[in-house]
Amino acid sequence: MIRLTKVELRRLTARRLTLIGVAGLFLITALLLVATWFDARPLSAAEQQQAERQFQLAHKDWVDHAAENRAQCEEDWKAQPDPKPTVDDMCSYPEPKLEDYGKPPTVFAQIMPDLLQGSSYFLAFAAFLIGASFVGAEFSSGAIGNWLTFEPRRLRVYGSKLLAAATGFVPIAAVVLAIVLLGTFLIVDHLGDTASTTTKTWGDLSAIGGRAVVTTALAAALGCIVGLLLRHTAAAIGVVMGYLVLAEGVFAAFLQKAQPWLVKINFDAFVRHDAQYYVTECKTGNDGSYICDYVQKTLSFEHGAWYLATLAVVMVLLGGWVFHRRDVN
Amino acid sequence: MPDVAISTRGLRKTYRTRRGRKVVAVQGLDLEVPTGGVHGFLGPNGSGKTTSIRMLLGLVRSDAGTMTVFGKTVPAQLPEVVGRIGAIVESPKFFPAFTGRKNLELLAEAIGAPRTRVGEVLEQTSLGERGNDRFRSYSLGMKQRLAIAATLLKEPDLLIFDEPTNGLDPAGIREIRETMRGLGDQGKTVLVSSHILAEVEQVADTVSIIGHGRLLASGTVAEVIGGSTAPTVKVAVGNHEAATRILTAAGMTVRADGNYLLVEGAPDPADVTRRLAHQELYVSELVPVRADLESVFLELTEGEGL
Repeated sequence: MIRLTKVELRRLTARRLTLIGVAGLFLITALLLVATWFDARPLSAAEQQQAERQFQLAHKDWVDHAAENRAQCEEDWKAQPDPKPTVDDMCSYPEPKLEDYGKPPTVFAQIMPDLLQGSSYFLAFAAFLIGASFVGAEFSSGAIGNWLTFEPRRLRVYGSKLLAAATGFVPIAAVVLAIVLLGTFLIVDHLGDTASTTTKTWGDLSAIGGRAVVTTALAAALGCIVGLLLRHTAAAIGVVMGYLVLAEGVFAAFLQKAQPWLVKINFDAFVRHDAQYYVTECKTGNDGSYICDYVQKTLSFEHGAWYLATLAVVMVLLGGWVFHRRDVN
Repeated sequence: MPDVAISTRGLRKTYRTRRGRKVVAVQGLDLEVPTGGVHGFLGPNGSGKTTSIRMLLGLVRSDAGTMTVFGKTVPAQLPEVVGRIGAIVESPKFFPAFTGRKNLELLAEAIGAPRTRVGEVLEQTSLGERGNDRFRSYSLGMKQRLAIAATLLKEPDLLIFDEPTNGLDPAGIREIRETMRGLGDQGKTVLVSSHILAEVEQVADTVSIIGHGRLLASGTVAEVIGGSTAPTVKVAVGNHEAATRILTAAGMTVRADGNYLLVEGAPDPADVTRRLAHQELYVSELVPVRADLESVFLELTEGEGL
């Protein structure tokens, strides 16, 4: 099994699509860092002056009209039917502050989780694509039949392919995420704020990165399984695209309460350690009015982890069963 | 080593078409391939040759029946003997974007063969100079040779070639034929399925003929030819009418063939000359007409649709 896995790893790394895919990943990583650099740049002197002028205008307006506006608002509040918000909620006119004008500094600890999550998406996509092609090409070329005349123990062959794809992507994902993490730190250190980065921040970010490595390896293995089930790379990609559009897009929009059972939100909950999603909840008020609220819900890390683990086990068993029984022509 | 390299009993395989119709590819095949030498596996297209080979190699599951290779039950004990089997099933299939050498290196590594073996088998199959070219750039003949090189990585005792000369030019066909014969002469067991009967006749020591997934005849080439077709002699004699009358009266079947008579059913060609000479009819020429594998094959598989 170890020998077969090594052979499959050699085959994976020798494939042109793998090399192109990995080059693409590093290119996207570079573009991501360039975009981060543009986002983190402070305002120019002219833009800063413009922001200060806007602040002064707003502050003058506040000094001139805040009391008048408050009085008028309170009058309006009294005329409102019940239920109504508190007067402070409705008629609050806080004094404008200079830091609210212009561009706030980029804070490393705030932007990094989103960047790691975004990286986990393109890593998972690339891993799935390369995994599907890794096995799909074997079936479409017929080379799998030749391979099985050298090693007929199908479950070993199957296991070696999944292991090779999954382990092959661990260092790739780790390197890409490390580049994103350290590259962003250097950019923000130069252009924004890294002073608030604590040991705990680094720990949290490392944990997100580690989980993104796990999802990348999982995506590579799932790509192999889907490629094996459908026997063609294009078919595997088509099925995943169909799922994303129909299930994650259309179905999730119409049946919002089913979101906890879709892949993406569980993926997010696992990578980010909890994820938020929204559902529309409607009810009839005491006065007979029908009110709909957009309610934020949280999907726990544990839910995401169990969901992904169950999905992986089911898919691995299904792929193994099919490959064990299937006639190879 | 057992006397029988391959044995199947009651082997059966049924496919379902996309429309759900059942197609019986192999029905109760009893096959025995003796150890050593070249064994021809003949049958019309669709008679179940390739399916039988695939079942022997564990690529296709059988519905019923038993198979053994070198005494080991297949597919359960196939891993124990797979190292002794080299096989090319239909057209050679490798990773097209990899070089021939890379393809062989991966296979060699999978079975634990030393990497130096790759160079050796490439040289053996005259692919040494093209080993670093991509498989997709190979001609059909080179692909076939690469497939043979792959089988030789294992140094196998049993080689299975399924239609090995399909699409090859005459030089390629000859090369493959010589390779098979050479392997047979080295004491290896070579099972070659082919519909090019003259070719099989030239290289095979024994043959099995199947039709509709069943064994129709089996044995040495001489046994199969002799057992199926009555001996015939071609006779040149002055008076055809009289000769026909005499030989027919003796229980032989006679028909005209240009200036000759074709006589079947004579226990010995000497009987023909003796009976005609008794009636003062003298034979100027007598040639035994040798039955060939093709005529036997056509006779046995008549109506099976080649």
